[in-house]
This record gives sequence, C-alpha cells and structure tokens, in this order.
Amino acid sequence: MIVKVLYFGRLKELSGSSEESVEVRDGARIEDLFAHCSMSRPELRKFRASLVAARNREFAAWDTPLRAGDEVGFLPPVSGG
Amino acid sequence: MTTSHRHDRIELTREVIPSGAIASEVRADEDGAVATFDGCVRNHSHGRSTLHLEYEAYESMALAKMREIAEHLHAHYAIDRVAMVHRLGRLEIGETSVFIAVSSAHRAAAFDACRYAIDTLKKTVPIWKKEFFADGAVWADGEVPPAPAASADAETPAAEPASN
Repeated sequence: MIVKVLYFGRLKELSGSSEESVEVRDGARIEDLFAHCSMSRPELRKFRASLVAARNREFAAWDTPLRAGDEVGFLPPVSGG
Repeated sequence: MTTSHRHDRIELTREVIPSGAIASEVRADEDGAVATFDGCVRNHSHGRSTLHLEYEAYESMALAKMREIAEHLHAHYAIDRVAMVHRLGRLEIGETSVFIAVSSAHRAAAFDACRYAIDTLKKTVPIWKKEFFADGAVWADGEVPPAPAASADAETPAAEPASN
C-alpha cells in the first residue's frame, strides 16, 4: 500500500524533500515506515529519539498501524511562538 | 470532532499580523476585558545576535491543533472570543510572530486563557523556527509534543506469560 510521508524543519533539509509517496507492506506500522525511509537516508536515524509521529494530522504512537492513503508526518521538536 | 466558534479567528499567515485590529475584533459589548499576547522577534538567542527568523509549519495540522486549543479555552474558561494568528516565512527583528487575543466579561478568565493558549501552542502546534545569525543558521531547540506512547489500534499484546 502507498502512504504519504511529510518531512519538516531539519528533517526536510536532511531528506532533501518535503514529501514523498512510499510503498509499505500491508500491516506496516509507523515505526516500520520510519525504518524504511531511513534506509536511503541513514542520517535520519539519529533524530528518531527526538521525533514524534503524526498520522492524518494527529499525534500517533510509533506502533500505530497504517492504512493505504495515510499521511504520516515525522515532526522534530516544535518551536513556534 | 470539534465545533468551531463562529467568532474565533484561527489563522496562519505570511503577511504582517494586524495585532491592533485583531484585538479590537474579539471585543463585544458584553466583554469587560481583552487579554493579548504579542510574541515578537528578539534580536538575540543564546548570546548570539539574531539577524532574522524563518518559520514553517505543517499547516493543516497546525491549524487543527490551534483550533483544539481554542475549543479547550471555550470549554474551561469563562471567555467570549479567541483569536490566534501565527505568521510563517521570513520575519525581521521586532515583528510579531504570534498574536493571541481573548475576550471575557471579567479579566481573570481572559488572562488565564491567553496564558494557557500560548504555553500550549509552543508545546503542541507543529511550527518550526529557524534562526539566522551572521555566521550561519540553526533550527531552534524545540519542545517534543506529548504523543501517545502506544496505539489503541495496535494488536492486543501477547497473553500474559504463565506464572513461574
């Protein structure tokens, strides 16, 4: 199934893009998606501990199962205000 | 999921924030107070001179989270209207990056709600700030938003191991 991945802030700069479509196996969870995305960009891995994930614009646990068409954001610590 | 209050103004903008107009707009005749928070760009950060800032957002989610904050204010404080506007893009020293205005019949609720709104925005709304200095730029240290530790949809954990 295909999901959309969004990168922001320093992750966007590291990954070189702000969004991409990724094919993952059925039953994949957010952490599987992050592992998949990190394969081509190993530098993402060192940020994993400080990231939170969002699924369809809501904060989500890393073990959240994905569905086709989901929009997943990997969010660095926020600094608005 | 949430009803939106007709008079609230929740926005992201790339233009100068019209703070004065927004503060006037939230006041109705039954209000006795308008509390505002004006977050502006400071000329220094961690001892270095800041040249300018750039803000970016996960816009659809940021607006949803800002609306959730406004709903929380209506549910928990005796307030009338809420305005919450955050600017994106390049900002110069002294410019307003975020403006919050809350009206109420009596001042305590407006002060308390305004304080809750900015504190919560800084912790939970997906917006990022990049600070530009003479010798480079850095993404500001931020706050890790609270997120669920485990998914409610996740598979049921394996049955408890037999006692030993």
